[in-house]
Amino acid sequence: MLGVITGAHGVRGEVKVKAFTADPRAIARYGTLADASGERGFDLKLRGAARGLVIAEVAGVGTREAAEALKGVELYVARAKLPKPRRGEVYIADLVGLAAVAADGAEIGRVARVLNYGAGDVLEIERPGRDSLLLPFAEPMVGEVELERGRVFVAPPDEVEARGDEPEDAAP
Amino acid sequence: MGRSVWKGPFVDGYLLKKADKVRAGGRNEIIKIWSRRSTIVPQFIGLTFGVYNGHKFLPVLVNENMVGHKFGEFAPTRSFHGHTAVGGGDKTAKKG
Repeated sequence: MLGVITGAHGVRGEVKVKAFTADPRAIARYGTLADASGERGFDLKLRGAARGLVIAEVAGVGTREAAEALKGVELYVARAKLPKPRRGEVYIADLVGLAAVAADGAEIGRVARVLNYGAGDVLEIERPGRDSLLLPFAEPMVGEVELERGRVFVAPPDEVEARGDEPEDAAP
Repeated sequence: MGRSVWKGPFVDGYLLKKADKVRAGGRNEIIKIWSRRSTIVPQFIGLTFGVYNGHKFLPVLVNENMVGHKFGEFAPTRSFHGHTAVGGGDKTAKKG
C-alpha cells in the first residue's frame, strides 16, 4: 500500500492523499495505482502538498462529490513496479513476516514490524509465549537477510545493566 | 538558558565505566540503561544501548551523528504508531 485518500480538496475534484512513500511526492511516480480489490485504477497528478498530505488530481474525477466518494480508498502498487532496493537496503514490506532464525537455524520468532525512532531501523521480533525482541538492524545482531528463503539471521545480544546503584559505583 | 560550556556535557559516570567495560569485552552486548538524561559522548560510538522508555528498552546503536544528543531523544515515551501502512509503503531499511 502506497497511500490512502483522506478526502476531497477544493471544488474541482482534487483529493488529499496520505502517502506512505519515503518521499510523499513519489506516490505519483508509480503510474496507475489500484484499489484494494485491484479492479479500479487511479492515475494521480500531483497538484501540491498541505499539512503532510499530498494534493492530487485523479483522472476521471472532476467534481468535489466524486472526490469525496473516494475517501478511504487505499492505493496499492504491484510489487514488481517498485525499483530494486540499493545495496544493503531491503524493503520494509519484504522484511515484515520473515522468520528470525539463529545461526544454527532454530527459529526465534517472526519480524512483526520495523520501527525507527531516529536511531536507525529496529526489528521487532515476536516470539511465541515471550515478550517481543527488539534488535537494531545492524551487524552483528542482524545477519544475512534471505528473502527467497523467507528468513533473516539474528544473534540476540547478551544484556548488561548500567545502574547508578551498583556496588562498584558506590562511594568508598 | 543552555548549560554552561565549561561544565562539559552531562553524563552519568557509571555509563562511561560500563561502556569501557563492554568495549573491552568485545562481545555482542546491549547495555540496558535508565539514564535518559545522559548526553551521548564519542566514547559511546559503536555501542548499542537499550534505553528505557518506561515500558521497554529500545535499542539505540550509537553513531557519530548522535553525539551531543540525549539518550532519551531516541526512545519516545508515548506510543504513537502513526498512520503509516503496515507494510511500510516503498520505504527501505538500511543496515547500519
